[in-house]
Amino acid sequence: MRRWLDAFGRRGDVVGMNRRNVELVYALNERRHYPLADDKILAKELLSAAGVAVPRTLLTCDGLYDLPRAMRLIEGLQDFVVKPSRGGGGNGISVVTKRLGPGLWRGAGGRVIDADELHYQMAQILFGAFARGALNDRVLVEPRIVAHEAYQGLWADGLCDVRIITVHAKPLLAMVRVPTAQSDGKANLHQGGLGLAVELDTGLVVRAVCRGESLTHHPDSGGPLLGLRLPHWEQTVDVARRAASAVPLQYLGVDIVVDEREGPLVLEINARPGLEIQNVHGVGLNPLLEALS
Amino acid sequence: MRQRHAHWPVIGALLLITALIVGYKVIVLGDNPGDLLPTTQYNVALDLRLNGHGEAAKVRTFLPTSDRHQLVLDEANTSPGVHFSAQSEELNRVATWSGAQVPDGTALRYAYSVLNTELRYHIPPELQIPSSYPRSVLPFLRPETDVQVDAPEILAAVAAAGADKGSVLERLQAIYGVTTGLTARPFKGTTDALTALRLGEASCNGRSRLFVAMARSQGIPARLVGGLILQPGSKRTSHQWVEVYVAGHWVPFCPTNHYFATLPANYLVLYRGDETLFRHTSDVDFDYAFQTSTTLVPSVRAREILGRFNLWALFERLELPFSLLRTLLMLPVGALVVVFFRNVVGMPTYGTFLPALIAAAAGSTGLGWGILGLLLVTLVVVTIRAGVHRLGLLHSPGLAILLTGVTVGVLGVSLIADALHLAHLARVAMFPIAVLAITAERLYLSIAENGPREAAQEMTGTIVVILGCYVVMKSLALQMLLLGFPELLLVVVAANVYLGRWTGMRLREYSRFAPVLVKGGV
Repeated sequence: MRRWLDAFGRRGDVVGMNRRNVELVYALNERRHYPLADDKILAKELLSAAGVAVPRTLLTCDGLYDLPRAMRLIEGLQDFVVKPSRGGGGNGISVVTKRLGPGLWRGAGGRVIDADELHYQMAQILFGAFARGALNDRVLVEPRIVAHEAYQGLWADGLCDVRIITVHAKPLLAMVRVPTAQSDGKANLHQGGLGLAVELDTGLVVRAVCRGESLTHHPDSGGPLLGLRLPHWEQTVDVARRAASAVPLQYLGVDIVVDEREGPLVLEINARPGLEIQNVHGVGLNPLLEALS
Repeated sequence: MRQRHAHWPVIGALLLITALIVGYKVIVLGDNPGDLLPTTQYNVALDLRLNGHGEAAKVRTFLPTSDRHQLVLDEANTSPGVHFSAQSEELNRVATWSGAQVPDGTALRYAYSVLNTELRYHIPPELQIPSSYPRSVLPFLRPETDVQVDAPEILAAVAAAGADKGSVLERLQAIYGVTTGLTARPFKGTTDALTALRLGEASCNGRSRLFVAMARSQGIPARLVGGLILQPGSKRTSHQWVEVYVAGHWVPFCPTNHYFATLPANYLVLYRGDETLFRHTSDVDFDYAFQTSTTLVPSVRAREILGRFNLWALFERLELPFSLLRTLLMLPVGALVVVFFRNVVGMPTYGTFLPALIAAAAGSTGLGWGILGLLLVTLVVVTIRAGVHRLGLLHSPGLAILLTGVTVGVLGVSLIADALHLAHLARVAMFPIAVLAITAERLYLSIAENGPREAAQEMTGTIVVILGCYVVMKSLALQMLLLGFPELLLVVVAANVYLGRWTGMRLREYSRFAPVLVKGGV
């Protein structure tokens, strides 16, 4: 009983959906700037203009009329990623690892992908099938990122990314999102992905949480998680800070991947970042926000 | 950046404006603001069935008339092949159906609506029995076959009860005491006054005859009244009570259900005098039933006083159904319920207003149809999505096929239900297609964007919220209140402004963030 009363007393620490919307999203992010975060192509243009490292763009495609050109360009590519510019939650993304022959590739899971499938995928993207509440979208094709070996060690079959929450361009909390077998190769925490709480100052993994359960090892690979020190950490936090300074949005979730050759790259920025990071850290956002102001 | 507390003055202003309007209406209406609330209208249908064996047949009964207690509207007779007439005979209005060759299974219907008000009389305590009465009242002092005014036992009972002395009020109270004191017994058929007294038990007509006999014995004119106690449903039982002539008024008493000088709003007078409700040719098989339903309608007073800003009058002029006005006014309340479930409870739903819209639609077709429609749509969406996915169709054409599927599904259920003689199910097509179509699109997108697990959660949440909306929107009290005082919608707005700036934890977030809240792990 005592324990539950204490828990109820701590409710002020946690930022719930209502508080996030009223006090962070509406108060700090003007609605007219949302497209900068929601649209990956727009975000990349802005960030690279500000000198923030982002993945290269191999090609973009604006509409069905443009599809034949896009298909011709793709024919010459070895490994790449097809993304909806305005997608979310990892939906609508195809990862290609190797070209097998004319119109044939190997996908991330080892599956063979043909030109028809890619064509359909891109058409679906253009119709806005993966863009929330929109009827059209753009296709973004980027080189496949090969994560730094430290990240690959966490989970080889999917991409781990770093999520850093910033308020007024000051990093507040950081975590690494690791895919699991359960999460279908996606690093989404709602779909069973693993969250690693990382100390901002040191890059040290201090906690690992999967579906609300605290862990010490990866549930599939059995690899140890706690006590890891992440590579290029200072640079990673710095990239987040610079990305946040480059956009007019004051409350952000900056997603970063650490490429084995290029180092930390900003994958996307989110104007309405999720709140699960609090569970990963076992800490509410509110005390951190108060300390900031 | 927005002002942190800018919403409080807005909430205050909204509440103040509402209070002013409500206050103004209440003060202008004096001591009866209740007049603004809608009243219950009873819709009565008398169904008659007779097997005339192809020969001459005749049925007669009594029809209600309008007076201070009851307003009879929209009378309609349906009697194909049978002649109908209605005429006044002495105290009553008599309906007669007659035919020369009436076949077996002839169904007749006489329908009407009534708006009733309760009548209450005050009998001055000092009023004495007058020495003379108008000529027209004199017959109601005489003995009748079943009303034995002169029987010594009746007179003895009057004396024993003390009803033979004192003022009119005192005597009536004594008689009322005797007749209400009889043991209740659901007699079928007629009980005369003397039998009721001897047995010490009686049904409504026995009590009423004893009341009439005792009153007449003391020189107070009295008569039987017959009619219906109105309540939704089907019934064959009629009711009898009493009217007593006091100072120029016929004052009602019901010794069976204990109404003293009062006629409740749900009593419908059909005839006066010791009559039989139905008379018919002796060799026809005859059956009848009164079907009663209720609807909310504007009160007579409210129609007069609201003047220009009278939504009821507007709807009447435009010939729009009153129920539509009710639904429209309740929709914002339903939306507030949805907001509560989403932002305070944390229940996921399809869209913000869809649950309220479904509940509103279900309000006119029945809750079952809302849920059935939703399940039907789910089935169609899941089936069609699987097909669309396999074919690799583009997004919009896929959605268009979905809508076709919903249409076919609704019509198919109607066809199958009709073939199986499930009349209610066959009417599923009445459920607004627009609402079903939007539901289908939301569900489809939800499955596509969030996966089946989250879509199922949203589905569950949606059904729960529909139930919540339905219960609130169906509430008669709330409907009456909003119809009488539509300005209360400003309070709904104020509540939304408050919830719009409310930053508390949603109920479900307490479990979601348990890892943060409960130190030392869950």
